[in-house]
Amino acid sequence: MARDLAIDLGTANTLVYMKGKGIVLNEPSVIALNRQTGEVLATGREAWQMIGRTPGYIVAVRPLRGVAITDLEITERMIRLLLQRVGVSRFTRPKVVICVPSAITEVERRAVTDAARRAGAADAQLIEQPMAAAIGADLPIDEPVGNMVIDIGGGTSETAVISLGGVVALEAVRVGSFDIDAAIQAYVRREHGIAIGERTAEEVKMAIGSAAPTEDESQAEVRGRDLMTGLPKTVVLTPEEIRFAIEDVVSSIIASVVRCLAKAPPELAQDFLVRGMYLVGGGGLLHGLATRIEQETQVPVKMSNMPLEAVVLGAGHCIEHYDALKNMFMGARR
Amino acid sequence: MIWVVAVVLVVVLIGAFLVLRRRPHQEPGVVKFRRHIDALSSESRREVMDRVRPTEKRPDNGPGRDEPGRDELGR
Repeated sequence: MARDLAIDLGTANTLVYMKGKGIVLNEPSVIALNRQTGEVLATGREAWQMIGRTPGYIVAVRPLRGVAITDLEITERMIRLLLQRVGVSRFTRPKVVICVPSAITEVERRAVTDAARRAGAADAQLIEQPMAAAIGADLPIDEPVGNMVIDIGGGTSETAVISLGGVVALEAVRVGSFDIDAAIQAYVRREHGIAIGERTAEEVKMAIGSAAPTEDESQAEVRGRDLMTGLPKTVVLTPEEIRFAIEDVVSSIIASVVRCLAKAPPELAQDFLVRGMYLVGGGGLLHGLATRIEQETQVPVKMSNMPLEAVVLGAGHCIEHYDALKNMFMGARR
Repeated sequence: MIWVVAVVLVVVLIGAFLVLRRRPHQEPGVVKFRRHIDALSSESRREVMDRVRPTEKRPDNGPGRDEPGRDELGR
């Protein structure tokens, strides 16, 4: 008998929760393929290490980049491999709940459920990431009070107001921490004339990236390829430079939070001032982001205890209480 | 004549019985909503949260802070 699964199919990382067991898989949403034969060469952490370092015949891709299911066939193969790795075979067909961004289109929604069913799931249901995040962050969403959750992922940022087990207001933008990496790459290229890879940009973001000035700031040495000479070159980047480089992305995320606040009914709006807003998702770990949102909205911002796992834990709770919570799934409400 | 009425009555009764059996059991809205809210309570969620806490303490049980899958800023 297959154990039912909850999958957080994130743009950056994929987490799998198994009913009765907990989180059984947590690794990057990357797949490495042989360009000529189409064979899968590696997935997860192993494939992540190949990004930007592969010979011509290998390609390491994030199939869920930019929310959109960029390649249905690759997505399906990734889901199939995921299910195989957690012990699903053709004889054990589990029920699967998959977390997806609320901004997902009808076509993408169908693509994910079809991919999961073809990959071996007996039934595939989708749940919106902010709702799953609010459950996983242990917010009191069963009470008639305003709970606000900001989920900043790799490809999307979503803000939701939740009360009495349902979404009251929702705002999503297709901007996330990968856009921050891309902004750093573009800035270094434009201002310093060197090309840096995706992983280097991410390392810079984690080392000195911030949305607002913080204490003990330091500089970072970055190595890349000089665009003029083609030779390796090192430059020093400051936190101010990175703040400038990522400002557009950060502003766009904050603007969506403000729009969501504006959509909330006044009765619930007053709850936010007392209870605050909760940040989840890897993007929320950007230094100074909570402070910056707090400054611009005048609402306290708190970091969830388990920001990276909150979404899959929420979906895991739904799989544990499948019958009682099945009207939370995306198809059930429309 | 009485036979015809009896047969019709039996057919109607069987038909009504089958229709009632086929109609899905409708839970009252209040009960359904209460069940939904109870399933979302903190108490109900504790089991899932407790299940994940021990794995956090064991670095060999999942990716460490310096490895992808945990350390990446994107999810």
